[in-house]
Amino acid sequence: MTKRQAATAAVEVDKASFHYKNIKAIDELTLKIPAGISFGLLGPNGAGKTTLIRLLVGLLKPKSGSIKILGKTPSRQTAHLIGYMPQLPSLYNELSIIQNVNFFARVYRMKDKNQRAQRVEEAIKLVDLWERRKDSVMKLSGGMKQRVSLACAIVHNPPLLFLDEPTVGLDPELRFTFWEHFAELTKQGTTLIVSSHTMDDANHCDRLALMRGGVVIAQGTPIELKKATGKKDANLEDAFLHYIHREERSV
Amino acid sequence: MFNQAPTIAGRVILQLLRDRRTMVLLVLVPLVIASIVGVSIPSKQTLDYIAPAMLATLILFFGFLLTGISFLRERSQGTLERLMAAPISKLDVVGGYLLGFLLFAVLQTMILFFYFIYVLDISFHGALWQIIVFEIIIGILAVCLGIFISVFARNEFQMVQFIPLIILPQMFLCGLLWPVSQMPEYLQWVAKFLPLTYGVDGIRALMLQGQGLLDIGKEIGVLAGYAAGLMVLASLTLRRGAS
Repeated sequence: MTKRQAATAAVEVDKASFHYKNIKAIDELTLKIPAGISFGLLGPNGAGKTTLIRLLVGLLKPKSGSIKILGKTPSRQTAHLIGYMPQLPSLYNELSIIQNVNFFARVYRMKDKNQRAQRVEEAIKLVDLWERRKDSVMKLSGGMKQRVSLACAIVHNPPLLFLDEPTVGLDPELRFTFWEHFAELTKQGTTLIVSSHTMDDANHCDRLALMRGGVVIAQGTPIELKKATGKKDANLEDAFLHYIHREERSV
Repeated sequence: MFNQAPTIAGRVILQLLRDRRTMVLLVLVPLVIASIVGVSIPSKQTLDYIAPAMLATLILFFGFLLTGISFLRERSQGTLERLMAAPISKLDVVGGYLLGFLLFAVLQTMILFFYFIYVLDISFHGALWQIIVFEIIIGILAVCLGIFISVFARNEFQMVQFIPLIILPQMFLCGLLWPVSQMPEYLQWVAKFLPLTYGVDGIRALMLQGQGLLDIGKEIGVLAGYAAGLMVLASLTLRRGAS
């Protein structure tokens, strides 16, 4: 993590709201994510995780409130600072692995041919698909497509990486491999924001925000959140239920 | 603006080149249609009248269909969302598609043109480069129309349903098969609002009457106007930071 990154919060959300027609997806949400850590957005389907990520990457604009990433409002001018791995693999099936990764490297304005070729190789090697780089994406399994998708998101070496449910549909072994990749990235100084609804993913994060109904109901490290339940052997599922019950009681 | 269009164009071209079946169909289908027209119309005079119009019509048809389906996939597979999150402008995306598909439009035009002239022996009094320029204008219109219409389709099946709605009426009313002047007056009015009418008039003037691009300024102007309007509409369907 650079000094500049350490000084600036990677993400600052201040009372941001967003709704699709009559459905409130994000409701006056406030959140601050420090740079250089892996941060998990944890919550059930429909909690607003994907909408929040789409707001953070600039695909949506908040109806009210403000959002800053690395100190700036998300826009096309800040797009090169982020890597985005959507929920769907979002790849060009006719193209090979290397052609897909190289295309996204060019989209992210990596103009120097040699530097680009080196980064493409590094990204594909990181997800362990270098041997199959010439294979068409169409022929790959779901897990491999997810790995290619990750390579496309990290190829330009962004300081901020948004991963929307990156481990959905992966077997436990592959999920473990993914988290190894993510740990490697945070070690290199990248801030990771990962949405998930599985407690297994949550345990790998440095900090977590538990989301429900478009709001953050609790934040902290996994240990802090578990402790708050008051139980000795509590897991994150217990913590999540604890905060839901607490919120319902307060309502 | 348009800085990244060549990157998108390169990818579009690469995608089509790697899809060999589509490539073969892109070349074969227009030739099959042209052959059927050539064999089924015994009168050389009628064939001379219809063949140039076929050039304009097929470019509009294939340009619309290919772009529409490609863009629909781009939307439904999530790659468009990924592009919109990248440092790339809407015009880069539309411009990239234009460049990519126009290469194939030019290729199709040349194949069809030489097939009409040398195999079907169609009369020709113009310059090939002028025909290509005019076909590119129709191609731009087709690509923008395809991108714009793709926003209303949720799958490929629905996209194909737009052909009878958007393309077929133009084919019947543009003067492809019989002169617009012989149609009922209210249909002549409708024809005046259809871009393909100007495409067909323009290409006939270039191929049959030996006129140049400067002589068909009205047709070029109308087609360019439609293309510009559709390009703006197509760009509006690509949203970044939508509220």
